[in-house]
Amino acid sequence: MKEIWVFDIVEKVKNALLEINIRSDAALRQKMLDALVAEESEAGREMLTQILENYVVAEERRLPLCQDTGMVMAEVRVGSEVSIRGGNLRQALDEAIRLAYREGYFRKSIIADPFFGKNTQDNTPGVYFFEWVEGNCLEIDLLVKGGGCDNITTLGMLEPGSTPDDVERFILRELDRKAALACPPLVVGVGIGGNGAYALFLASRALSRPLGSLHPDPRYRELEKKWCEDINRLGIGPQGVGGRVTCLEVRIETYPCHIASFPVGLVCSCHVFRRKTLRW
Amino acid sequence: MVRNMTGREFILKTPLGVEDILALRVGDRVFLSGELYVARDATHRRMLSEVAQGKELPFPIHGAVLYYAGPTPPPPHEPVGSIGPTTSRRMDPYLAFFLERGLRATIGKGERGEEVKQLLEKYKAVYFIACGGAGAYLSTFVVSQEVLAYEDLGAQALFRLLVKDFPLMVAYDAFGGDLFEEGKIRYRRILLYHRENSNRGE
Repeated sequence: MKEIWVFDIVEKVKNALLEINIRSDAALRQKMLDALVAEESEAGREMLTQILENYVVAEERRLPLCQDTGMVMAEVRVGSEVSIRGGNLRQALDEAIRLAYREGYFRKSIIADPFFGKNTQDNTPGVYFFEWVEGNCLEIDLLVKGGGCDNITTLGMLEPGSTPDDVERFILRELDRKAALACPPLVVGVGIGGNGAYALFLASRALSRPLGSLHPDPRYRELEKKWCEDINRLGIGPQGVGGRVTCLEVRIETYPCHIASFPVGLVCSCHVFRRKTLRW
Repeated sequence: MVRNMTGREFILKTPLGVEDILALRVGDRVFLSGELYVARDATHRRMLSEVAQGKELPFPIHGAVLYYAGPTPPPPHEPVGSIGPTTSRRMDPYLAFFLERGLRATIGKGERGEEVKQLLEKYKAVYFIACGGAGAYLSTFVVSQEVLAYEDLGAQALFRLLVKDFPLMVAYDAFGGDLFEEGKIRYRRILLYHRENSNRGE
C-alpha cells in the first residue's frame, strides 16, 4: 500500500491552482506566437498581441490571467494500492481551492444553489470525478474554465451509424454560431460514444491532455488535424473579430456506444487554457 | 454588407458625445480615457429595480460608458485586480433602459442580439469590445477603482473605474455595422450549407 497524506494533496493542488491561474505554460505561449504568425486579420492580430501581453503582465504582477477564475474541475484516478491518510479526498480538494482562491485574490464565482443559493465566498465546491484504477498511483487532472466558454457546451445525439464527416458537420455548425462567445482561439474537446452523459464527460476529459500531445490512434490523429483546420476556415478568428485562427487544437475521446445512438459531446476551453496533471 | 475595415485609431474621453459616436465605424480602434461604470447581470437587475422604486441611477448616465465585467479582488500590492470583459449578450435585455436615459457606449465581449444593432442606430450609440481573457493586461490601463454601490454583490457590485487609454475596438457602430459578421465573411474559406441564407441569431 502506498500512503498519501491529505495535507500533501492540499498543498500540491493549491499550488497548482495558483500557478495555472497566473502563469501561461510554455506550450500555450508558443501556440499563441504561432497563431500570431498565421493570422492574416489585422483585428485578429491585435487581439492575439493583447493575449500575449497579458501573459507577461499576469506573471509580473501576480494577477490572474482572466478575471473569471472559473469553477475548478478535477478528474481523480485513485490506484487500488493507494491509501489516502489523514482525511477525505473530496474535502482535501475543496480545501485546496479555498486556500488558493484566497491567497491568489481570485474571483469567487460559485453559488451554493442554482436557484436559491448565495455565493459560497471561497469558490468551493469544485466539480470532481473519481475513478478507481489498478496500481499504486494517484493522479489528478485539474482544469479551470470560466463561464463564457462553458456556456457553449453542447450535446448532440446524432443518428446511429454517423460518419466522421457527420460529426465534423455537427461541430462546425455549433461552433459557427457559438465560438465567438467563448473567447477564441479555443481548445476543442470532442467526446464520442458512451451515452449522452458520458460523451460530455469524455469531451471534458479530452481537455485534460497537455497541448501538443498526439492521439495514440493515427486515424483519430488525422481527424483532429482535419477538424482543427476546418474550424479555422470558418473565419471567426481571435475574439470573433474575423480571422484565420479560431481553434488551437481539437482533441477526440471515444468510448463504445449503443447500436441505437450516437452521442457527441462538445466542450471547449477559451484561449486561457488552464490545466495541470498532478501525480503521486 | 462587407465594408473595408478601416483600422483607424481614435483617442476619446468620457463622457462621450453624439459627434464622437457618429465618427466611429466597425473595426476602429479606440483608446478611451475617463470614467467607466462596471456592471454585470445582478448589478443591472438591482439598478432597474431601484429605478422602478423611484430612486435615481447611482451614476451620471448622460454620455456614460458601461463596462460589462466582474473584476477579481485587488491584491494588496495593486490598485485593481484582473478586469477583462464578460459576455455582453446576457445584458441585452437591459440595454434599451440605459440608452433611453443617455448611455452612449457599452464594452464587453462577443456577439449580441440583432435588436441591439437597431437600438444602437436609434439612440446613436456604439458597442465596443475589449480583449476577453486579457484581464491582467487590461488592468494596466486602470488608474483607480472604487465601489460606487451595491457592495453586498461582491464582484457584481457597481464599480467606478478611472481609465487611461483603455484599448477598445468598435464591434457594432451606430450605422448597423457588425465587426463579427464582416470579419467572418471576409475570412471564411468553407461552405456550411445550413446557414448561408439563415440568420445566426436563431
